Amino acid sequence: MSAKYKILIVEDEKNIRNLVKTILKANGYQVFDATNGSTGMIMYNSHCPDLIILDLGLPDIDGVQFIREIRQVSQTPIIVLSARHKESDKVSALDLGANDYVTKPFGMEELLARVRATLRNTLIKESGGDFKGVKFTVDNLTLDYDKRRVMIDGGEIHLTQTEYNIVEYLSIHSGRVLTYADIVKKIWGFSDSGSIKKLQVNMANIRKKLNEKPGENRYITNELGVGYRMNSDDK
Amino acid sequence: MKYNSKLWMNLRNILVTILIIVVCFILCIAVEKWLNTYVPIPAIFTLGVFLISLITRGFIFGIVASSISVLALNYAFTFPYFKFNFTIPENLVSAVVMLIVTMVSSALITKVRKAEEVRAESEKEKLRANLLRAVSHDLRTPLTTIYGSGAGIADNYDSLDKEEIVELAQGIKEDAQWLINMVENLLSVTKINGQGVALKKTPIVLEELIDTVLVKFKSLNSNINVEVDIPEDFVIIPMDPVLIGQVLMNILENAVRHGEDLTYINIKVRTLGDRAIFEISNDGREIPREIIDHVFTGYYEKKNKPVDSKEGMGIGLSVCHSIIKAHDGDITVENIKPRGCCFRFWLGLEANDNEC
Repeated sequence: MSAKYKILIVEDEKNIRNLVKTILKANGYQVFDATNGSTGMIMYNSHCPDLIILDLGLPDIDGVQFIREIRQVSQTPIIVLSARHKESDKVSALDLGANDYVTKPFGMEELLARVRATLRNTLIKESGGDFKGVKFTVDNLTLDYDKRRVMIDGGEIHLTQTEYNIVEYLSIHSGRVLTYADIVKKIWGFSDSGSIKKLQVNMANIRKKLNEKPGENRYITNELGVGYRMNSDDK
Repeated sequence: MKYNSKLWMNLRNILVTILIIVVCFILCIAVEKWLNTYVPIPAIFTLGVFLISLITRGFIFGIVASSISVLALNYAFTFPYFKFNFTIPENLVSAVVMLIVTMVSSALITKVRKAEEVRAESEKEKLRANLLRAVSHDLRTPLTTIYGSGAGIADNYDSLDKEEIVELAQGIKEDAQWLINMVENLLSVTKINGQGVALKKTPIVLEELIDTVLVKFKSLNSNINVEVDIPEDFVIIPMDPVLIGQVLMNILENAVRHGEDLTYINIKVRTLGDRAIFEISNDGREIPREIIDHVFTGYYEKKNKPVDSKEGMGIGLSVCHSIIKAHDGDITVENIKPRGCCFRFWLGLEANDNEC
C-alpha cells in the first residue's frame, strides 16, 4: 500500500486525542480529528476516511447515534473507545455496526493492533469476500475454506459441523470481536434464551479440541460478557 | 419498583397482623369451649401480639394489634360476654396491663432491630471511610510521581538524555497503572454500595473468566507462573464478571506485591453441591498473625505505620470482601504450610439448569 490510510478521530478529550493522533502519525497513518459529533460528520464528509476512531461519550450527540448516522450512508469501519463497566454500551455499539472497541484506559499497542486488523478486514471484504481457494492462518492454525478443514501444524482437528461453522465465521472476521447475538444469528439463524449457552458449550468444546489453555489462548480470545474474537497475525 | 416493594411490605404486614389475631381468636374460642377456662386467654393474646411485633416492621402493627387484642378480650372473653364493658375494675386492669406489656415488647423488638440496622450501616460506613482515606492518602504518592515526571519531561526535554527520559516515563507508566487499579476498585465499590440495587448477574463460563483474568494479569506480570486447576466439565456461574474478575485480579496482585520469594500462584476451582469454590494459593510471604483478621475489613490500625500506597494493604482485599458479600458468597484467608497463604471464596452456582 503506497497510499496512506486516512483515519478520523472523534474524541472530545484533548489529551487522548493528541496521544492517539501522535501515535497513529508515527505509524504512518494520515490523521484528521474532530472534537464533537457534528464536526466529526463534516470531517467525515469532506475527507472520506478509511477508518473512524470514535469516543462514545461526546459532548453534543451520543456516540451510538453517530454510528447510526454513519451506517445510513456508508460501511466505513468504526472503532469505538468506551469506558469500563459498560458492557451493554459495547454490545449495542457493535450490534449497530461498529467494527470493534477498545476499553479505556487502553494501551497504544492494543489500539494499533485493532486498527491494523480492522483495515485488513475491510480490505478482504472489498476484494469480493470470496473465500474459494483461500486459507486462513493464525499462529500454527490453518483453515481450509474449500475443504472445510481445520489443521494445527498440518494435523487435522476434527470439529463438528456447528463447531466448524463457528470457527469459520470467527476467522473470516479475525481480529474483530463478534457479539454472542451476532454469532448465534449467523450459526443457528435464530436466537432464544438458551442459544447463548449453546454457543458457550460449543466454544468450550472448540477450545478443548484446539488445546487452548486459560490465559494462554493462541487462537480465540474471550471477550467476557460481549463475545469472541479470532486472533490475527498482523505484526 | 421501590414504591411497589414498600406497598407489598405493608400489605404483607397487614395480612400477618390479621392472620395472627384471627388465629389467637380461634384458639381462645377453642380453649374456652374444650377446656372451659378463661385463664390462658390473655396469655395467648399477649403471645400473638409479641409475634406480630417480631414479624412485622415498625411500631404501628404491634400497637394496633395490642389494641385489637384488648378490645377482643374485653368483648368476647370477659364478663359480660360479647359486650364491651370497661366498668368492671378487673377487666380494666387486665386491659391496661396487657396494653402495656404488648407495647413494651413491641418497642423493645423495634429497638433491637434498629440497633442491628445501625450496625450494618456502620459496617458500610467503615468501608466508605476507608475508601475515602485511601483516596486522600494513597492517590497523592502516584500523582506526585506522574505530575513531577510529566512536568520534568515537558520542561527539560532538551537537557535530559534519552535514558533519563525513559526512566521518568517508566515511572509515569507504573504509577498510572497503579492509579488505574485504584480507580477500578473504587468503581466496583460504588457499583455495590448503591442501596437496594441488586447486582446484575449474567451466566459466565468459568474457563472464560479465568482466561480473561489471566490474560490481563500476564500482561502486567509476565514473569510470574500461574497454575490453573479447574474442572474438566462445563461450569457456568452467575455473576457480575467485571466485579469477580476484579476479585481475582486483586488477590493475584496482592500475592505479587507481598511475595518477595514467590515462585508460583495456583488457582484452583471446584464445585461442591450448589457452590463453586475458588482457592488462590501462593508460596510467598505469610500474612502476619496480627493483621490476618483485618485483611478484609480495611486498614490494619497501627498509627506509626504510614498507609503507603505500595507497601500498605491498600483497599484491594476489602473490595474483594464487599464484592463476594454482594454476591451472597463468603471469602476467607489462611496461611499454609510450608509457606505462603491461601485465599478461598465461594459463589452460588446456577440452580436446576443442567441441560445444554
